[in-house]
Amino acid sequence: MIVRRTGLRIVIITAVVLIAGVAATAFAMRNLWSGKTDGPVQVVSAPADVVARGKYLTEAADCAGCHTAPGGAPFAGGLAMPSGFGTIYATNITPDPDDGIGRWSAEDFWRALHDGIRRDGQQLYPAMPYTSYRGMPRADADAIYAYLMRRPAMKVANRTTELNFPFNIRLGMLGWNTLFLHDSLPAVSAGSSPAWQRGRYLVNVLGHCGECHTPRGIAGEMTSSLTGFALGRVAAPDITPGGLASRGWTGAGLRAYLGRGFARQGSAFGDMHPVIMLSTRNLTAEDLDAVAIYLLGDNPPPPAPLLATDATDSAAASEAGRMSYVALCAGCHGLDGNGVPNTVVAMRNNSTLRLADPRNLIVVMLDGIRAENFPHHASMQAMPGFSDKLSDAEAAALANYLRVIWGGQKGDVAASVVRTLR
Amino acid sequence: MTLPTRPLTVTINGRRYGPIDVAEGLMMIDVLHEVLGLTGSRLGCGIGICHACVVIWDRDERTSEEVQTCITGAGFFDGKRIRTIEGIARRDDKGNLLALSPVQQAFLDQFSFQCGYCTPGFVNAATVLIERLERAPVPSAQVEATVAAALEKHICRCTGYVRYYQAVRDLILATPGLTRDAA
Repeated sequence: MIVRRTGLRIVIITAVVLIAGVAATAFAMRNLWSGKTDGPVQVVSAPADVVARGKYLTEAADCAGCHTAPGGAPFAGGLAMPSGFGTIYATNITPDPDDGIGRWSAEDFWRALHDGIRRDGQQLYPAMPYTSYRGMPRADADAIYAYLMRRPAMKVANRTTELNFPFNIRLGMLGWNTLFLHDSLPAVSAGSSPAWQRGRYLVNVLGHCGECHTPRGIAGEMTSSLTGFALGRVAAPDITPGGLASRGWTGAGLRAYLGRGFARQGSAFGDMHPVIMLSTRNLTAEDLDAVAIYLLGDNPPPPAPLLATDATDSAAASEAGRMSYVALCAGCHGLDGNGVPNTVVAMRNNSTLRLADPRNLIVVMLDGIRAENFPHHASMQAMPGFSDKLSDAEAAALANYLRVIWGGQKGDVAASVVRTLR
Repeated sequence: MTLPTRPLTVTINGRRYGPIDVAEGLMMIDVLHEVLGLTGSRLGCGIGICHACVVIWDRDERTSEEVQTCITGAGFFDGKRIRTIEGIARRDDKGNLLALSPVQQAFLDQFSFQCGYCTPGFVNAATVLIERLERAPVPSAQVEATVAAALEKHICRCTGYVRYYQAVRDLILATPGLTRDAA
């Protein structure tokens, strides 16, 4: 009986897989047959206010973050995005007829943003965040299209993606999309105000924050929204209301951080620095406010005060850690941990020290941070890396000292954690 | 109010100093200037960027490296061996000058500096570079890039670097053993 039932299940599953396979193939064939490679060069005329809105939306969607390579021509592509599946290169989205999107219609553009399908009918990989952009209304996609099509055309050839088998079969994305492409991403906070609604659109759709801040499953799909993930060496931290409040973030802090790159809670470094310079700094005051309201919710949780360190924690923050701080850090960050205004971030109340995961703190101690310019002529000095001056045990002791004294965290970092991050 | 102090023992230019009590949190440049009377190292930016204040840390018998004394606490140097600009030239037992180091002479010969404020840092950086090349020579075609990479962190506000870089490049090319391709 059990055998027969199992047999029946196998038959049903096989049938479902076959039907799905045939449907997917038919769908893909339809896309590929209807796909185009040549065709007329598009001439786009749009009212100035639409183009201006398109520019604002292009910045809010941070298209340049990937489609402009460092030092490259604007929107001409080329940025390499390494992933566990191989390397994907951002493409040329200037109106060049051959290398760019000069022959793409507004409909073609919409299909790429909404369905992840290229003009030639091939599937895009979700390194292009159509998973987020899917929530964009057609009018916004058209405005972005109008703006991009009026940028100077750049004759820069696209680089071929270098994905390993079987991920190099673009058709495979059909199954992925069936499972993981949703019309909207879940809300990260509770709210209903117009600002909250606008913030949800800015964060979930245009800003595609979840693409870095949401953990990914084994198939690269987004899982629990904005709870933090390490896609690269520096982890994108938890930016849920609870996560933000636990590290002392307030609406004012978020507005300052996203608008000018630094706040009392710290300055932008790693991959977040270009996000601020290319995208969030251009948001209007109302939109910055909307982002903060959405991230924290209509009723923001109170920012967690720094807990008074108890005796056991102070003991854990060993004398060795303190001596390293005095010897290597205090010269700039100060014995009192207050830093130097507009030059060196404070350690006291620093968001990175208040993360439960010590990863980013250790990475910064080992690698340093290059000098960063910020909007309005502000800047932070370069921080040297100390990987050659601190042993694993010394770095762990220093991390524990910082976490306990100024992070309100446990001094539980082991030397082995430092070793794996070297 | 009294600041807590820490004992410091450090070997500078071959001479052992200490143990001396040093206020905790004092940066090494202040100890060099105010306590030890070694005023040749220059305080520039005070935030570890300009590198005018660097000393040479003889990490072990073979390796030497630069350390910015303006952002490095005196405690870091406890038990360590360093060289400051005062220890670069050769002197006799009474402290009389016998000869400038090849780096110092090259900077003079090529008029590398004008006001001289950054010079102690450049001398130490070039000295560390040459000691590194003695251990690991580079092809002569790479000397120019090697010099630029070694000195680029040092900021000079008068002469625009060119004569510093030329002097070090010429010295390396003229010194046997620092480059490894056949002449």
